[in-house]
Amino acid sequence: MSIPLLLPDILLLGLGVMILALDLARVKASLVWNVAWMGLIAVLVVLNLIPAGWDRAWFGGNWNLSNFGLLMREFFILSALVTTLLARSNFVRGEEGFGPMRYKPEFLAALIFVTFGAITVVSSKDLLTLFVGLELATIPLYFLVAWNKENAKASEAATKFVLLGSTSTATMLFGMSYLYGFAGSLRFANIGEAVASSPTSPLLWIAVLFLTAGIGFKLTLFPFHSWAPDVYDGASTPITAFLSVSSKATAISFLIIMVYGPLAAIQVQLQPLLILLSAATMTVGNLGAMKQTRLRRFMAWSSIAQAGYILAALTGPAMSARSSVVFYLFTYAFSNYLVFFIASLVSDRREQTFASLTGLSRQKPWLGAALAIGLFSLAGIPPVAGFVGKFMLFGSAAKAGHFAFLIFVGVNTVIGLYCYLQVLKAGWVDTGEEAQEEANKNLRLSFTEGASITLLTLLVLGAGIAPWLGNNIAAVLQYGP
Amino acid sequence: MDKAYLILLFPLLSFVVGGIFLNKKPKAAAGFSIAMAALSLASALMVAFDWWSVVSALPEGGASKAIVPWAINWLPLADNFSIGLSIYLDPISVMMLVVITVIALLVNIYSVGYLRGDSGFPRFFAELSLFAFSMLGLVSAGNLFQMFIFWELVGVSSYLLIGFWYHKPSAVAASKKAFIITRFADSFFLLGIVLISYYTGSFEFSVLNTLETAAKLATPVNLGLFSASALTIGTLFVFAGGWGKSAMFPLHVWLPDAMEGPTPVSSIIHSATMVVAGVYLTARMFPLFASAADTLQVVEFVGALTAIFAAIIACTQKDIKRILAFSTLSQLGYMMFSLGTSYIGPGVVNELGYSASMFHVFSHAFFKCMLFLGAGALIHAVHSNDLDQMGGLRKKMPFTFASMLLATIAIAGIPPLSGFWSKDEILVAAWQSQSYVVFGVGLVTGGLTAFYMFRMFFLAFFGKSRAHAHHDFHGHDKHPQQHHEIHEDPWMTVPIVLLTIPTVFAGFFSKGIFERIFKPNMVVPAGEFAHATWIPYAATFMGVLGVGIAWFLYGQSKAHIAKALNTEGRPAWYRVVMNKFYFDEVYLWITRKLIIGFAAEAMKVFDHLVDTCVDLSATFTQLGGRATRALQSGALPLYIGLTLFGILFIRYLGHLPL
Repeated sequence: MSIPLLLPDILLLGLGVMILALDLARVKASLVWNVAWMGLIAVLVVLNLIPAGWDRAWFGGNWNLSNFGLLMREFFILSALVTTLLARSNFVRGEEGFGPMRYKPEFLAALIFVTFGAITVVSSKDLLTLFVGLELATIPLYFLVAWNKENAKASEAATKFVLLGSTSTATMLFGMSYLYGFAGSLRFANIGEAVASSPTSPLLWIAVLFLTAGIGFKLTLFPFHSWAPDVYDGASTPITAFLSVSSKATAISFLIIMVYGPLAAIQVQLQPLLILLSAATMTVGNLGAMKQTRLRRFMAWSSIAQAGYILAALTGPAMSARSSVVFYLFTYAFSNYLVFFIASLVSDRREQTFASLTGLSRQKPWLGAALAIGLFSLAGIPPVAGFVGKFMLFGSAAKAGHFAFLIFVGVNTVIGLYCYLQVLKAGWVDTGEEAQEEANKNLRLSFTEGASITLLTLLVLGAGIAPWLGNNIAAVLQYGP
Repeated sequence: MDKAYLILLFPLLSFVVGGIFLNKKPKAAAGFSIAMAALSLASALMVAFDWWSVVSALPEGGASKAIVPWAINWLPLADNFSIGLSIYLDPISVMMLVVITVIALLVNIYSVGYLRGDSGFPRFFAELSLFAFSMLGLVSAGNLFQMFIFWELVGVSSYLLIGFWYHKPSAVAASKKAFIITRFADSFFLLGIVLISYYTGSFEFSVLNTLETAAKLATPVNLGLFSASALTIGTLFVFAGGWGKSAMFPLHVWLPDAMEGPTPVSSIIHSATMVVAGVYLTARMFPLFASAADTLQVVEFVGALTAIFAAIIACTQKDIKRILAFSTLSQLGYMMFSLGTSYIGPGVVNELGYSASMFHVFSHAFFKCMLFLGAGALIHAVHSNDLDQMGGLRKKMPFTFASMLLATIAIAGIPPLSGFWSKDEILVAAWQSQSYVVFGVGLVTGGLTAFYMFRMFFLAFFGKSRAHAHHDFHGHDKHPQQHHEIHEDPWMTVPIVLLTIPTVFAGFFSKGIFERIFKPNMVVPAGEFAHATWIPYAATFMGVLGVGIAWFLYGQSKAHIAKALNTEGRPAWYRVVMNKFYFDEVYLWITRKLIIGFAAEAMKVFDHLVDTCVDLSATFTQLGGRATRALQSGALPLYIGLTLFGILFIRYLGHLPL
């Protein structure tokens, strides 16, 4: 009876294994790619057949399907699907002057295992599963970043990523061990009781301190963000996009699970910390984005700022934080992938810089418009999706009465707007580089790219205006967390 | 009336169809856009007529004159809390719908002449339609959230239109400046919306504009540094949005720069419609504002300050579009302080202040639109914005001369033209509410207005032609096609001449309607006031005095025009005024030196730190083996150091109970 509820998770794991098996059987790589994206769509369909309202656990209570988990599963699988589509061009024509990447099946399998790790995080009911999930969602990323072996910058980025990643893992594990020592149990339910009964214990707060530091790395919170610009810039475009969406969503799910789960009793005391991190992170992100010339580096800083915005919602009550974060993650993913698709497109043979967008609006007005829509959404201009998302995030913070903080956030969004306008200016206004303009004139979109960009643009426009996304999230979350 | 959404639908259609299908067909694009603007005007008039027939049947007093002919539920946020879309018709929104559609149609026609031959011709009409759509949506919105969305769309479309000539760096800079400054103000507006909706549980104007709602908002809110009632803070934040959009002092710096856009854009956006949005917002939320004494005090102060400050600057400018821009600022100041002065007691207002403000919005829209269109015709003729290049154009452009004379008299507040009536009402209302200082400011500003407008008028049309004194046309709002002979273009002249009708008659004939119908809903009126009959004479005297001085200095045949236009060797105070009190320079310094400078320095430090890490780690991967061991110990402490710094950062600044 309850096994079908696990079907999507099992299918996803099976899909990863099957892709590796197909590779062993020396099936053509393009077929593997087709299997991957079709398989992900199939998992998504199966997932959507599961009705909401379950709160059920398996495997001795270690694997749990919650309503929040259901929504995040959809998100992670959708994100993996879009990354698969985005990665195609890297294997077909390469980017930034490097030849096509190799080992496509392994790449796709790794992507799917990262996604499975993210799903493990949102399924966890105890610290151990949580930790295993988090590592499963991180370790394959280390080598995905270094996938393009021709690119020395990618190896450098991966080295940096590994070094800092292991430091943060150690920090987090340290925090978790304190939490275990404090509560005497790994189960969230028991930890929650212990927290409620002695909310000022130093053991607990040392655990909180190190857990925050550990997850700060994955969520690129200030001052743990320093790896992001280098790693994002060094990795290939699909991996950068995936890092900025899925990896960030994993970290924010971790925080939501902790803050509104075992730590719910001290959420009020955590608010100053969350406000501090959120405010510092968005400021640093926006200031950093100001003077960039390379697109992926710019998007890294932008995603740091976005992490700050998302964190703002966690200062509010549980229900509104969950629904607004899920909503925002969807809109953020649509807009971010849209921008990355265009970035990937213009850097087929060129450096991926602001200058490579020159003349895009004159030569390919549709792409120019799509870029503008994506950027406006990231900047939060109505009526596109990002605006509604931001409105909900800040509404969640407003529910806890942090108006002074929200003024600060408001000023930050203006700085952010300035940064996004710089990119828009490159695509719409700047002239000068004839060669770039000529190259943009000769851009050829594959069917995958054309269809993905069109769909994402429509989603960015539609999710802001049409109520379906918000309604669905509300409908699922009405059954509880 | 249930087809009221058609007013918005036509411009939207024009934008979509014009933008997508008529991109390469200038004639079809212009024709389609004009046809859609005409249909939009027709539906606005029909709606206004229907609305009037319903409202005039209502009993006098008390009853709300707001009708919602169309509404849907849009975003259900929670069971009892949702965001709707609706069209809200009350006196001010119906008035604005008619004004916007009339002006949009005339500006559409005018643009055919003004932009003939421009490579972006079809794009211009699409963007103009988008603007009209956004502005119509803004004024007809039934709730704050919907209004905010259109509010931002107005911002986006003005960004597109100011930067229409995107090959001009100054135009791009101006469009960015306008967008970012108004966005800065809008972020407060958004916060105000969040705050008010959180305490009241609604976005709808019909709910918000009641005294019960004002009572609900009496809870104090702590903002860290200080605390005040949610009503004061919420309304102040909402007003901040209008502060930026209406370019009130000191957020006014974007408006003069926005004159980089084509003149029809300046005409429709920066005089008649968009900048009025701030005044409109304040009027729309007026019943709520009426309970917040502090907020209305701010409105009054900011309005009066902007009125006189902009008028003083306008006296020294030489670019005719900038003179008009500052005069717009000054007139917006009138509208604002008129709303501000109508406060008598909590929830008790002098209704005349409200209706006079709306009356001035109405009459100002027409004559200011026409002044801009006339200025555009002058610029088109002499290929320069500068008064240095004009003079003696009376004979060569007779229609423009006659129409602009009427509009200049109207804005100077000389009877019986429209500006006189509305300005007079504002002054009377200020006197009645015992705001004597503001009254004085209004009176003096009236004299200054007459002076600087006639200064511009005499310098442009009288005297000898100075068209070939210099050949420095660079950086001016000039038409790409070079005409060598000064002439009038019928596409441009017809809208100008048509606008003389409301310029002359809009005041006298609509005074009664405004006094009777334009009353804020559900607010206790303050009763009868004594009518100070001497005010019109004083106002007229100030106007005539201003005209007389302008005539003496610039109009009479012996006037030293060259000396009047000379900017060299002026006293220090004159230079300060001419340079607009150096506001732009101060802002520029703040943004360049402080914000960006700080960011650059911070980045340098950070980059250095990160670069060190990267360099070391790159070496580490390349060499491998024994030699790297020393370097590894050099790299890792830096990494871990940052993590340690982070832990300490959280430990000491995160308010942990440790």
